Amino acid sequence: MLAENIIRQLLSGLSMGMVVFIIAAGLSLIFGTLKVLNMAHGAIYMFGAFLCYWLTSWLPNVPGIFWWSLVIAPLGSAIFGGIIEILLLRRIYGLDMMYQWILTFGLILFIGDICRLLWGVDYYMVAPPWPLNGPVEIFGVFFPAYNLFVMMLGPIILMGIGAMLRFTRLGRVIRAATFNPEMVGALGVNVPLTFTLVFMLGCWLAGLGGALVAPMTAVSLGMDAAVIIDCFIIVVIGGLGSTLGAFIGAIIFGLSYALGILVAPKLAIAIGFVIMAVILIIRPWGLLGRPE
Amino acid sequence: MKQNQVLSLVQRKRLLGLVATALCLVLLPRVISLGYLSLVIEMMILGVAACGLNLIMGYAGMVSFGPAGLYATGAYATALLIVRFDIPFTWAMIAGPVAAALAGVIIGWFCVRRTAVYFALLTLAFSQIIYTVVFVWYSFTGGDNGIVGIKTPPILSSIDNYYYFTLITSAACLAAMWMICNSSFGKALKAIRENPERAEFIGIHVRRYQLAAFVLSSFFLGAAGSLYCCFNHNVFPVYAHWSKGADILVVCLLGGMFHFWGPIVGSVVYILLDKIIVSFTQYWPMVLGLIVVLAVLFLRGGIAGFISSRALVKAAQQSSGGDR
Repeated sequence: MLAENIIRQLLSGLSMGMVVFIIAAGLSLIFGTLKVLNMAHGAIYMFGAFLCYWLTSWLPNVPGIFWWSLVIAPLGSAIFGGIIEILLLRRIYGLDMMYQWILTFGLILFIGDICRLLWGVDYYMVAPPWPLNGPVEIFGVFFPAYNLFVMMLGPIILMGIGAMLRFTRLGRVIRAATFNPEMVGALGVNVPLTFTLVFMLGCWLAGLGGALVAPMTAVSLGMDAAVIIDCFIIVVIGGLGSTLGAFIGAIIFGLSYALGILVAPKLAIAIGFVIMAVILIIRPWGLLGRPE
Repeated sequence: MKQNQVLSLVQRKRLLGLVATALCLVLLPRVISLGYLSLVIEMMILGVAACGLNLIMGYAGMVSFGPAGLYATGAYATALLIVRFDIPFTWAMIAGPVAAALAGVIIGWFCVRRTAVYFALLTLAFSQIIYTVVFVWYSFTGGDNGIVGIKTPPILSSIDNYYYFTLITSAACLAAMWMICNSSFGKALKAIRENPERAEFIGIHVRRYQLAAFVLSSFFLGAAGSLYCCFNHNVFPVYAHWSKGADILVVCLLGGMFHFWGPIVGSVVYILLDKIIVSFTQYWPMVLGLIVVLAVLFLRGGIAGFISSRALVKAAQQSSGGDR
């Protein structure tokens, strides 16, 4: 009985960790290239979750509507992010970085209120899609198939980002622009466009996380603040700017949180912070970061 | 010689302005109604909080997104001591800022360990854990019911008297912050803001100074929290919510981060805007977000920066006119 509980907790911890990883990967990617700490990343994630709910409830009779919205909601978030980048962030790249952080912090308020205006203050549920709406047996316990699907998506995203950065032309430009944007611009690459694309990609990942999480938890206002803190914990553990670091951080975070709930449910919230504090004491630059 | 005269003229003007402001504030309760008087109390408290945040943000260049956590620490410490432990009001009021400063020591020690970007995200993270603790620890902090019925001494029960109490306390806080900012410590903080490497080279222990600034800032944030909880006679987890931190941040940004008086100007404008706009629309956060975006894009020096740059232009025009 206990063993079954532990397995179930570990699985749910991992699937939650993978969702946060997908979001944190976007945060990390944006920071790595643009050097912008996107405080509004959680708000974009919430926007994606609301888009997914809205599509599935608007067209419930379309077959496979959830899968369609899993494609459309992240795209909507990416376009939204692109507008933010072009209209706002692009104007202040030359300034002290704190202005970019403050601007995106202001956007949390703005986007949160747009969601309130469009969808109200209720809690919404999205049903897990066919064919993943039942439980499957794994390691002797029954576990929601949808959560397993999300769990497997994490490593796929990790490899996808890695492959994109390594093998595509855009990836090479991104890596070069991370290193030295002026030089890349001098070589004839459209750096502002690259930055916009990276920001859109990061927001796409946030929106994907939002759409993925919709069948797992309730979609509501305030889900942005919770997830952004988890993201911060993960990037502090793994090192900001490193996708693999975020992945490892997410696994550590998800597993310890899930086990924490078994041992001391009331203190489980603090466990992420304890791990973060330990990392800050023994290895302040993060697991995969470099000393500054 | 001429330089000297101009300086003393400026100083005389400043002194005159300060005395006039003080006189106006002392006489204010005779002139305006109680409703407006409590708005002025809110402005003063928010002004202290924003100046506290500005100690690290404007002077030391460390952007903190978590002032709300420390503000709430002060408020909850005072409230809990009065309600749960029957500690006398005076001691509870002193204990609030001290508790916030202690929390500032712990939080700040972690936050200054890495670069500025980590400082920004860690402050928000720690502020949120204070919010969560307050929210979840139902038996002690009352959870989302908060703590209501905080008793203040009978002498402070009238709004007039609480106004004078707030006036004296916040004036003392501001005077202390003014002295801190203009001391060698404040100048060292500015040096760190402008160029941390050089500051390190001339022998400033950057992290220790940053931590000290963070603790001082926490102290004043806590003082503002204590003042506010006794003014309202209650305290709720929303005091620690990140949106409260956003308010304080907006006040600094709107008023002007690089002037000592900027956050105070900001708090006056902010409270007025809040009262006016809330009567028109329920989407005040959206307006607040827009203000942040517009201020970052077009008014980075804030209102104080705008006024002083205009004054500089005017002075330059006058002096060039005089030369001719």
